[in-house]
Amino acid sequence: MDDDAVVGLLKKINENLEELGRKMDRMLKVQESSRPTAKAISSGEMPLDVDTLLSLPDHLRRTAMAICTLGEATATQVAAETERARAAESDYLNQLVSLGLLKKKRKGRDVYFYIER
Amino acid sequence: MKTISLHSYKGGTGKTSIAANLAAIYARLGQRVCLLDYDFRAPSLGVLFKPNPKFWLNDYLDGRCEVDAALVEVGEGLGLKGGIFAGFADPSTKAIREMMTKDRAWEMGALHRTLSAKRAIQKKLGADYLIFDTSPGIQYSSVNALASSDAIALVMKGDDFDMEGMKEMVRGIYDVLGRKAGIVMNKIPMGLIGGEGGGMAKAIEEEFKIPVLGVISCYCELMAMGGRSIYALDRPDHPFSRALEELSKRIAEM
Repeated sequence: MDDDAVVGLLKKINENLEELGRKMDRMLKVQESSRPTAKAISSGEMPLDVDTLLSLPDHLRRTAMAICTLGEATATQVAAETERARAAESDYLNQLVSLGLLKKKRKGRDVYFYIER
Repeated sequence: MKTISLHSYKGGTGKTSIAANLAAIYARLGQRVCLLDYDFRAPSLGVLFKPNPKFWLNDYLDGRCEVDAALVEVGEGLGLKGGIFAGFADPSTKAIREMMTKDRAWEMGALHRTLSAKRAIQKKLGADYLIFDTSPGIQYSSVNALASSDAIALVMKGDDFDMEGMKEMVRGIYDVLGRKAGIVMNKIPMGLIGGEGGGMAKAIEEEFKIPVLGVISCYCELMAMGGRSIYALDRPDHPFSRALEELSKRIAEM
């Protein structure tokens, strides 16, 4: 292989590396923007996916997991799932509602918590 | 029912092979086992069972069918006292691409459907074990499976040098989810087992603060099969099969 061919090849490799670098930057940007932030969560923009679950404090995560499992449930049903006090669960559920992660609705005398899809 | 995820930080550690062999070992003991391929980026359980399912797990997660419609009994004719019911990921390029572009709202639904599947598999199928074969790393599908599991087996190879990345995954996901976790060291060069292998396992335990569930040697004859044989059934006396049997006991106790 003559020198020109080698130089050409090196130039091509360099171009490819630069393109790769740009691609990585774009990927990082996308990743950055998809990560949940406290602000995004509290503004109700974040879906209750597993990423959001992982970013919640322990006590709220267990409650949120229970709703993910049950689909739609009252504080009593959640308390049975988490084996914690109903009053505590009721408080945590309402915190999740004010974070915009859950919705609640009344059916007769019961209040049901659910994830809006 | 016990739900276990086979997970790793990097690919090619032997998750699928270990998952299939564990399923076979439990089923041979008379247990009903459900095995789900949650590696939607590189489905590989199909290589072993060559299924022709009516529905893929992709269909279930997309809401096109119930989970039992996506399960195929694959244990028939294998001389098992129990049974293996497997769900497969669609290996077509189109399906793989589609799964890679799902948004967070879809993944939220997928988590709910994964948790619902677990309930249905326990109730309708009467399964004793549910085993998730996951994608390496922190893909959504994998973390959804981890969140739905009682126990996690982190499979690593002898040449996995990225300890920091692995530690981050254990702390950031396994610990946060509060799941029981253990490490399976696989494909370890024969010379290191017993001698340095024991020391290696100890060092890993200290590093990760979770137990090493098993140290499995590297076998060329296994690689030659290219994942087309369930060794625990085809060659039950092989040292790999015996190591897997030990592992199955450790995992059952988790």
